[in-house]
This record gives sequence, structure tokens and C-alpha cells, in this order.
Amino acid sequence: MRTTAPKTPRQRQAMQESGEFDTLYRDYVDLIYRYAYRLCGEAESAKDLVQETFLNAYKGLKDFRGEAQVSTWLYTIASRACIRMRRKRKGQPEHELSLEEFVPASEGEFRLQIPMDGLSPEEALQSKELRQALDQAIEKLPPKYRMALVLRDMEGLSAKEVGTIMGLNERAVKSRLHRARLFVRRELSARGITRHDDHKPGGMRS
Amino acid sequence: MTKKKTSAPKKGAGPSSHRHTNDRGHCVDLLRQLSAYIDDELPSDICQEIRRHLGACPNCEVFIASLQQTVTLCRHRPAPQLTSDDRMNMRRAILNTANAR
Repeated sequence: MRTTAPKTPRQRQAMQESGEFDTLYRDYVDLIYRYAYRLCGEAESAKDLVQETFLNAYKGLKDFRGEAQVSTWLYTIASRACIRMRRKRKGQPEHELSLEEFVPASEGEFRLQIPMDGLSPEEALQSKELRQALDQAIEKLPPKYRMALVLRDMEGLSAKEVGTIMGLNERAVKSRLHRARLFVRRELSARGITRHDDHKPGGMRS
Repeated sequence: MTKKKTSAPKKGAGPSSHRHTNDRGHCVDLLRQLSAYIDDELPSDICQEIRRHLGACPNCEVFIASLQQTVTLCRHRPAPQLTSDDRMNMRRAILNTANAR
């Protein structure tokens, strides 16, 4: 197909921006979709978040000077877009998780385990029940804790990078991450997919 | 936890004789630091104290194992992928919206 050469500086600039955007989109759409899916827990909301993220990136592309990695820049845009979209939907309000609530009340609670013995994580995750329990536990997390867990433990970023993205210092990131992990562990345990140690003591919750 | 070495549980104490109600302070202190321990962010002397506590406290040992497993599962949980149609449709929608504004 024959294309018409751009005639004005504005058209040429638009073409250039479009080309840069296409490269950005091609290289990072899968990464941002994965992140969005993990934050949202389902495909349609994740796609909405991806579109909002790249729309904002498109508008901000000419101002992006490369001080941060492109991926960090996009994670930041996606994280902010996610918070804005959640506010619009008036989803569940944020609430704080205190460490005290994760102190096991009985020896039985201390001894809850996740049935992975002898299995690699990939093998253990073949279990639909375990996958669903993990997904639901992450989805139940208050959003700001979920974001810290997803970025650090699922996307594999450093605490420093997570801090840059979330606008927090490293200490605050680690604090949120720790509570998020304790929450997910407790949820997995409470689902009844866990098994007990052979010499478990009494006082176990059902 | 183990910053106070003098009150570490006695060696040889079996699971049934270990009572967290009696030694709760150590275990709660440990609980606060478990992620830092798992992520290898603590000084070696603190790590050594934690290992000593874990060796004497089966409950904490099991607890940390389950927390480590939780982290491992998160790290290995795959996410679904976009189809090429999804990629194409979203790109078109983004550019349409951008140009309409």
C-alpha cells in the first residue's frame, strides 16, 4: 500500500511519536498485562488497565527523559492508573494490616503447612485448588499490600524499585511486603488445603 | 526471638513440651523479622540467633517454612498471556482514544 509522506512538521512529529509508541507497546505490553492481571485478578479489568497505562504513556512519551528504566516508568504509570480506576469504581476501602493479627493464637496455627513436600513449586501449582487459594488470597489483600507483594514477589523487582514505583521508602515497602506475605500464608492455611505436621499438638482450628 | 540469648528454649525440649505462651516474646519478635530473614537482609549474627531459635522451636521452624513456601508459590505463579488479537485490538483502541482527545 502506498503511504503519503507527512507534509508538515506536526505530521512528521506525530509519525515519529507513533513509531516510538509502537516500539514501546510491542516491547512492554506483555509485561504490563501480566502486572495488570496480577493486580486486578481477571482479564477484562486487566485489559482496561493496560489501555489506560499505554494511553498515559503515549501522552507522556515526549517528556520521558530516560532517568528511570522504561519498565519502571510503565509500572509507575500502571500503578497510579490502577489506584485511580479503583477509586472510580469505589472498590473495597484500604485498611491497615497489623503484625499483631498474624501472631498465631495456638500451636496449631503455628504448625499449619502448605502441601508442597517433595514437589517443586511448578508441580505444586498444578493443583487447581492450590492455585485458586493463592489467587484468592492475593485478591483479598488490601490493595496497597497487594501491589507491594505483586511487584516484589511476583514481578521480581527489588525493594528499591518497588519504592520508586509506589512512592515509598524501602522500609515502608518491606513492612507492607511482610504483612502481605503473612496474610497470604494465613489465608492459604485457613482454606483447609494445608496439612498438619505428623506430631501436631491439639488446639488446631478447623 | 533470640536477641536475649539467656532465655532460649532448653535443648531437647520436644514439640509437646514447647509452649509459645511461655516463650511468646521470642516467637513474636521472630515473626517480625521473618521476611527480612527469608530475603537474606539481616546481619549474620542475627541470622545465627534466628537459626538457633528455629532449631529449638519446632513451631517457629514450621511457621517460617510455610511463609517461605508462600513466597515461593507467589514467585512461580504464572500469569495468563495476551493473544495477538488482544494486543492488536488494544493498540487500536489506545490510538483511537489518544487521537480523539
